[in-house]
Amino acid sequence: MPELRDPGHLPNLRPDGEARKPDWLPRQRRGTSPQMVGRFPNYDVLEAAADWDPATREVVEARLRPGGELRFFAAAEATTAAALSDRILAQDEEPRVPVVELIDRKLAEGRLDGYQYDDMPEDREAWHLVLAALDGTATRLHGKDSLAGCPVADQEGIVKAFADGSLEGPEWEGLNVSHAWSVCSRMVLEAFYSHPWAWNEIGFGGPAYPTGYMRLGPVGILEPHERAGATAEDPARATSEPAE
Amino acid sequence: MKTNLLKGSRGPRENDSRFLLDVHRRELPGEETMKRYGQDEEVDLVIVGAGAGGSVLAQRLARRGWRIVILEAGPFWHPDEDWVSDEAGSHSLYWNQRRMIGGSDPIKMGKNNSGRGVGGSMVHYAGYTPRFHPSDFETRTRDGVGADWPISYSDLRAHYEEIERELPVAGQDWPWGDPHSYPHSPHPISGPAQVLWKGAIDAGIEMRVGPVGIVNGTFGNRPHCIYRGYCLQGCKVNAKASPYVTHLPDALEHGVEIRPECMAVRIELDEQGRASGVTYMSEADRREHFQGAAAVAICGYSIETPRLLLNSTSARFPRGLGNAADQVGRYVMVQGASQSAGRFPDEQRMYKGPPPEISSEQFYETDESRGFARGFSIQTVSPLPIGWAEHVIAEGHIGGALREYMRDYNHWATIGVLNELLPQAENRVTLAAETDIYGLPVAHFSHSRCENDRRNMDYSRDVLQKILEAAGAQDTLTIQRYAHLIGGARMGSDPENSVVDSDHRVWDVPNLFLADGSVCPTQGSANPALTIMALASRLAARLGSGEIHSNRNPRSSV
Repeated sequence: MPELRDPGHLPNLRPDGEARKPDWLPRQRRGTSPQMVGRFPNYDVLEAAADWDPATREVVEARLRPGGELRFFAAAEATTAAALSDRILAQDEEPRVPVVELIDRKLAEGRLDGYQYDDMPEDREAWHLVLAALDGTATRLHGKDSLAGCPVADQEGIVKAFADGSLEGPEWEGLNVSHAWSVCSRMVLEAFYSHPWAWNEIGFGGPAYPTGYMRLGPVGILEPHERAGATAEDPARATSEPAE
Repeated sequence: MKTNLLKGSRGPRENDSRFLLDVHRRELPGEETMKRYGQDEEVDLVIVGAGAGGSVLAQRLARRGWRIVILEAGPFWHPDEDWVSDEAGSHSLYWNQRRMIGGSDPIKMGKNNSGRGVGGSMVHYAGYTPRFHPSDFETRTRDGVGADWPISYSDLRAHYEEIERELPVAGQDWPWGDPHSYPHSPHPISGPAQVLWKGAIDAGIEMRVGPVGIVNGTFGNRPHCIYRGYCLQGCKVNAKASPYVTHLPDALEHGVEIRPECMAVRIELDEQGRASGVTYMSEADRREHFQGAAAVAICGYSIETPRLLLNSTSARFPRGLGNAADQVGRYVMVQGASQSAGRFPDEQRMYKGPPPEISSEQFYETDESRGFARGFSIQTVSPLPIGWAEHVIAEGHIGGALREYMRDYNHWATIGVLNELLPQAENRVTLAAETDIYGLPVAHFSHSRCENDRRNMDYSRDVLQKILEAAGAQDTLTIQRYAHLIGGARMGSDPENSVVDSDHRVWDVPNLFLADGSVCPTQGSANPALTIMALASRLAARLGSGEIHSNRNPRSSV
């Protein structure tokens, strides 16, 4: 594993502009991270949950509970939405953050954001239209019934074109593709990065009320519940419980 | 300076909010014992909106014996239960009712510009509380752009000082604009802010700690900040200033009634064309109610204030109130708010500490060598994970690249700008065909940048890049975004090109006042909260002393 003080793993600094598959990182050793990627292998934010205020704990832990029946997406729509979100987030294997369930919950409860582009329908309608249009694109370009039916590489091609705003075709008529991407990607990101497994992956300290953060600097200083990131050190020699 | 010897120990004279708060609960005290006026009881003043403007106006005038009802569209918060240390979980703090957006640079509405509920958007503002500069009040004369205000900085100075004592504001002695000190000392700053500050110094840029409306030390019953980093999600500590803790406790103590979940529908007029009160819809029964008053103040901010004026049509004013010259809803401004992040070898952990830490106003005024009029300010910020994800995806990284940058979160530090974008007549709020949950037409906000705006934003992006490079950043990521709202019903000296006069009075309706950010003809590159409060404080002083006649019945005076 490379030394993470160096930035060589960052896509902007790599010749192809892409990330490496994260198998160069250790597996998560404590708690769960999406796909068990262990950039902070010894860190589980949920170990501090007992210190959070009850209102915050309830909101965060609700995301860990199974969602039950889908209320907003039809079954076929959910499959397409899952393919879309898996490509945006590179969630290629389990354990996955249940992004579609979280979005379904939000849309079913009508928790919309406070704006609507004047060349777009309301967000709930936009989701229905986008998912149908993605399937339509999959059919037109690759002869498959749905986005999810395409090989992953083809899915990536469609989602990348969606992100670039370059998707065209009769199935996208009536939608501003860039604005549609903004609506959908925003909800996918919010769902994923609101989940404590994603906080484990990025080493985020999480809610800190009423305890607070008392070790603001200099850089590198840790609170008792924080854990430093993975190092290039030989894991056989490193202790699994870092010294405090 | 003698104030420095007393830093932290001196509170405001005529505002007991800090003592009325409960040490053990984060709640606006007095909700149960709050004065409640009958439906048929005419009060002295109805205020629409319990935010920065409306709360200060209410607190000041209630102390002078005015009988006041505040109509607030959103809920009466109970922070211990309602607010959380969580980004997605704080969704209900924002104005999430429908608004249509358009133009060539449409503005996303909600979390970084509009609030809903008692306390308004200051419940979730970052906490930066800079003053406007004297130049902001005369940009037309000095710089040939924007507009001159009918008042000057000197009209607001004493109110800035008083509001700074009430919040209270913490920061270093301020060298820019009208140089001044702050009542509380500067907060300690985090590791990443130290890294960015060193970069700024090496790039030849002066920065200072603050100014933030965050208690540094205890302040009455308000505790010291605990640096948990969730200022933008509502302060569960009571350390960050918002009207909810700084003015409404004192307002309730002096007999103000807040009527939550009541959406103003229209301002009613009597036969002489004076405002007679406000018709509103209650969320509980979805029916129209009327609250009569001797005077009305609208404090709904740059989108809802114009919307309410435009929705208040009558035979006498078929285009809405104050709109005879088609000025209502025009000159709405936002600030460019691009942010650039730099990657560093050591873990930065920018989520620790308040997002607002250090700032610079070195580039605030016009410098002709830069090729555009007016300028920008620089402020450190610190996005939490969802905000960081929006930052990363803004550069087009998705899939594995997005995840890689996200996993690298702890190595990044972020700094942003606020660009003064110029007021333009076509950046405006109009009524849309769509309606809200009450069946009322919603606002459409059209926004496009002008050439000066684009040059300003491009130039400031390069300045941020220089700071990050000087700080030793190994990689950088930038997101172009916008923040804040100002204008939409500007003050002026001529009814042909403004909506209110220098006393905030709507032209043609002598007892209807606007007391929020909508009245500002320019915005500078300062965060607007402090100025909105200072303007309301000045209006209250003039109304309370009788310098402005409000139609209030003298019998009810104390």
